[in-house]
Amino acid sequence: MHEALNMALREELKRDDKVILLGEEIGAYNGVHYVTRGLFAEFGKERVMDTPISEESFVGVGVGLAIMGMRPVVEMMRMDFSLRAMDQIYNHMAKTRYMSGGRLSVPMVLRGPEGPGPNAGLTAQHGQQLTALFAHCPGLRVCTPSNQHDAKGMLKAAIRSDDPVVFLEPGPLNNKQGDVDDSDYLVPIDKADIKRSGEHATLIGYGASTALALQAARELERDGISAEVVDMRSLRPLDMGPALQSVKKTNRAVVVEYAWQSYGPGAEIVARLMEEGFWDLETPVLRVAGKEVPLPYAANLEEASKPSLNGIVEAVKRTLKGAR
Amino acid sequence: MSVQPQPRLSGRTTLSPKRLQKCLEQMLTIREFEHLGEREFKNGLIRGYYHSYAGQEAVGVGFLGALDLKRDYIVDHYRDHGHCLLAGIDPHAIFAELFGRSTGVSKGKGGSMHMYSPENHFLGGDGIVGGGLSVATGVGLALSRGGKDGICICFFGDGALDTGTFHESLNLASLWDVPTLFVCVNNFYSMGTSLARHSSLSQLVDRAQGYGIKTEQVDGQDIWAVTEAAERIVKDMRQRHRPYFVEALTYRYQGHGIHDKALNYRSAEEEQKWHDRDPIKLLSRHLIDEKIMSEKQIETLRQQVVHDLEAKLEVAKQDPLPDESELFSDVTL
Repeated sequence: MHEALNMALREELKRDDKVILLGEEIGAYNGVHYVTRGLFAEFGKERVMDTPISEESFVGVGVGLAIMGMRPVVEMMRMDFSLRAMDQIYNHMAKTRYMSGGRLSVPMVLRGPEGPGPNAGLTAQHGQQLTALFAHCPGLRVCTPSNQHDAKGMLKAAIRSDDPVVFLEPGPLNNKQGDVDDSDYLVPIDKADIKRSGEHATLIGYGASTALALQAARELERDGISAEVVDMRSLRPLDMGPALQSVKKTNRAVVVEYAWQSYGPGAEIVARLMEEGFWDLETPVLRVAGKEVPLPYAANLEEASKPSLNGIVEAVKRTLKGAR
Repeated sequence: MSVQPQPRLSGRTTLSPKRLQKCLEQMLTIREFEHLGEREFKNGLIRGYYHSYAGQEAVGVGFLGALDLKRDYIVDHYRDHGHCLLAGIDPHAIFAELFGRSTGVSKGKGGSMHMYSPENHFLGGDGIVGGGLSVATGVGLALSRGGKDGICICFFGDGALDTGTFHESLNLASLWDVPTLFVCVNNFYSMGTSLARHSSLSQLVDRAQGYGIKTEQVDGQDIWAVTEAAERIVKDMRQRHRPYFVEALTYRYQGHGIHDKALNYRSAEEEQKWHDRDPIKLLSRHLIDEKIMSEKQIETLRQQVVHDLEAKLEVAKQDPLPDESELFSDVTL
């Protein structure tokens, strides 16, 4: 996915001289996760600014640049490190527009990889999926792509948004390759999308869990089960339209996420399905989520902590049997 | 425990009679504004928190008097009413904000700590101790990127030096040649915790060392001293495009907020010592001694200031509350 993100950044840096990148090792080092590769050489140190390890303050610098009309894109080397910057994210980035009665806006993007990597051993402080923390906070837009195409178009749209956007790059998909469309297209950052159509059950995911749900749908097809896959893409605002439409047809849903289950985005999605789609449901909505433990190191434990293909397949089959 | 202004203070400057009279009017406006605000807080018309600037007027008057708000910007902390007035925001809009009215400077959605007026280059009040330091660094960076010689001034209290972001922000500002003027308004109390109990060093200016930034201490009760330092520093910053740190020694007469009676952590004797060096008193005495104004003229000016502010306050009182639809405006749902 990093190729798509890199292309989005390059195009926006070229298009608008107010766009400025800040982050740790994004410049001379060339980007820890390759997302900013080549940009320092192409645009120079004034547009691609290396920062010291001062997350709280360089996020605050981003807020200051944004209220002055710049369009900063601030990278968290890993989203886990944003915990150091939560005061700026929650109290400044998210709230300045509202507190000022709309007199100021903060057109800034906070982006970076979250969640476990692809069999990477990132462990407990580098591989967390903190989506819920951002999605909980009014004033932020929070979105996450599930493929290369969306990644590029959504990041470009995020940079052009006048609202602050938290752009979460799914760690498990970082190394996923694929052709990237080099045209100047945008993908909305507030719309869910049907990624696969099906008849018998609805799988709902966001970011990496959409990719996993698509894999599960292919497995299920072998057993003659046709699963529809809804990619939420945006977690704030939460666009329930496609999921509710899908449930009207399938009457069954399973929500998949890498995040911890309790109080997470999946819990919110299920609650909305209950409130707005209850009469379309034949069976309870099930969840397949990350296990509620700090991400362990050993390969087998790490694997066991993540939502599994098999777990999704089983959950879908259970909903078809009444989920009893 | 008593605290006294410390040595290593800057020099003073001479100011024209006209300039001094303007300074007096500004200081009286802030002082009387805060008195009226305190009254309305006690009347229940102002909710939540109210941090009074009374006692610290010379700091704001001196520093903001040295700026050119056509090109310079202000990032403030929560003790912001005085700085709002000095930025040129209509007192009516400040009172209205305090009363939570739709005509308030932030449409009634921010309150005492969250005043914003971009047209006055006033980029907020901030409710988090130290929260504005990095934002002001970003504002300064934007100014330097724009190729202009504007500077950003950032006010914060002595308690902000105890946050990590103070040190991060000074480091970033120096590293990137950011023209941000960091003004520590040292009123000797981090809420109710005295300097001796919250700072490892008794001279806060020493805690800003180590970042390659020019620093100095100024007597914040003395309008001549503040003005001298402010004008010299601003000139220096416009030429060098570098950050600067100043510690202004002053005192707040009220507690941290109006609700805080400051009973448990400082003595009446200490308070009296500072009242003896009240910035308005020092300036008034000079004006009288030099026969620039008589005591009676000063009192007449004060009454005029109160009269004008009362008129604005009364209008703000009658202004409407925000429409309920405002609950969901200025935020993406």
